[in-house]
Amino acid sequence: MSWGAVVAGAVCGILSAFGIGGGSLLMIWMTAVLNMEQQTAQAINLLYFLPAASISLIFHIHNRQICWRAAVPAILAGVVTAALSAWAASCLEAVLLRKAFGVFLLVIGVLELRKKPSPPPKRQVPLQNQ
Amino acid sequence: MKRITWRAALSGAAAGTINGLLGAGGGMVLVPMLIGWCGLSDKHAFATAISIILPLCIVSIVVYGCHAPLPLAESLPYLVGGAVGGVIGGLLFRRVSAGILHKLLGALILWGGIRLLV
Repeated sequence: MSWGAVVAGAVCGILSAFGIGGGSLLMIWMTAVLNMEQQTAQAINLLYFLPAASISLIFHIHNRQICWRAAVPAILAGVVTAALSAWAASCLEAVLLRKAFGVFLLVIGVLELRKKPSPPPKRQVPLQNQ
Repeated sequence: MKRITWRAALSGAAAGTINGLLGAGGGMVLVPMLIGWCGLSDKHAFATAISIILPLCIVSIVVYGCHAPLPLAESLPYLVGGAVGGVIGGLLFRRVSAGILHKLLGALILWGGIRLLV
C-alpha cells in the first residue's frame, strides 16, 4: 500500500471534516504533484467522496438538517448534467481536462483568499413544507 | 412552480456539470448558491449540498466506469487515509481557526492551478 496516498487521504479527510474543500486538495495532490492522468484522478476523487459523504449524510438526515425543497429539484437537474458532463470528460483529451481544472482552481483559489466570515442571510427558507 | 424550486434546480445543474466534468468542486459551487441564491442558512446549505452531491458523484462514477475500468485498487489507500482523517478532523473540530485555514487552502489551490496550466 502506498503510504503517501494514505497520508494524502488523511490530510484531505481532516480538512473535509472542517467543511473545507478536501476533495479539491486531493485532486491537486494527484494531478499537480503526482502528475496522474486527469481522468484517473477524477475517478479516484469521486470514489474517495462516497463513504465519507454517505456517513455524514446519515447524520444530517437524522438531525433534520437537509432542506428537501431545495435538494429534490437540485438532484433531479444535477443528475442529468452530471451524466452529460461525465460522458464529455471521458471523451475529452486528458491534457485539455487538466487545463480546464487548472482554470477552475485559479478561480476558486482567488475566491477562497477573498472569503470573509459570512453574514447571516437576509431571509431564511424554512425546512418544512407548508 | 415556486421560485426556490427553479433556483435549486439551476444550482444542482451547475454542480452536476462541474462534478461530472472535473470530478471535484461541485460543493464549492453549490454551497454558495444555496446560501446566496436559495436562501438557506450556512448549516442547512452544507448538509443539503452533501445530499445533492452524493447522487451526482454516483452518476459520474457510473458514466466513467462505462468508458474505462474504475481505478478501484488505486483508490483504496486514499479511502483508508480518508477514514482516519475524518475521525481526527471530527476530534479537532473547532480548535483550529477557520480564517487561517481558508487562506492556506486558497494559496494551495492557486499553486495547484498554476502548476496545471504552466
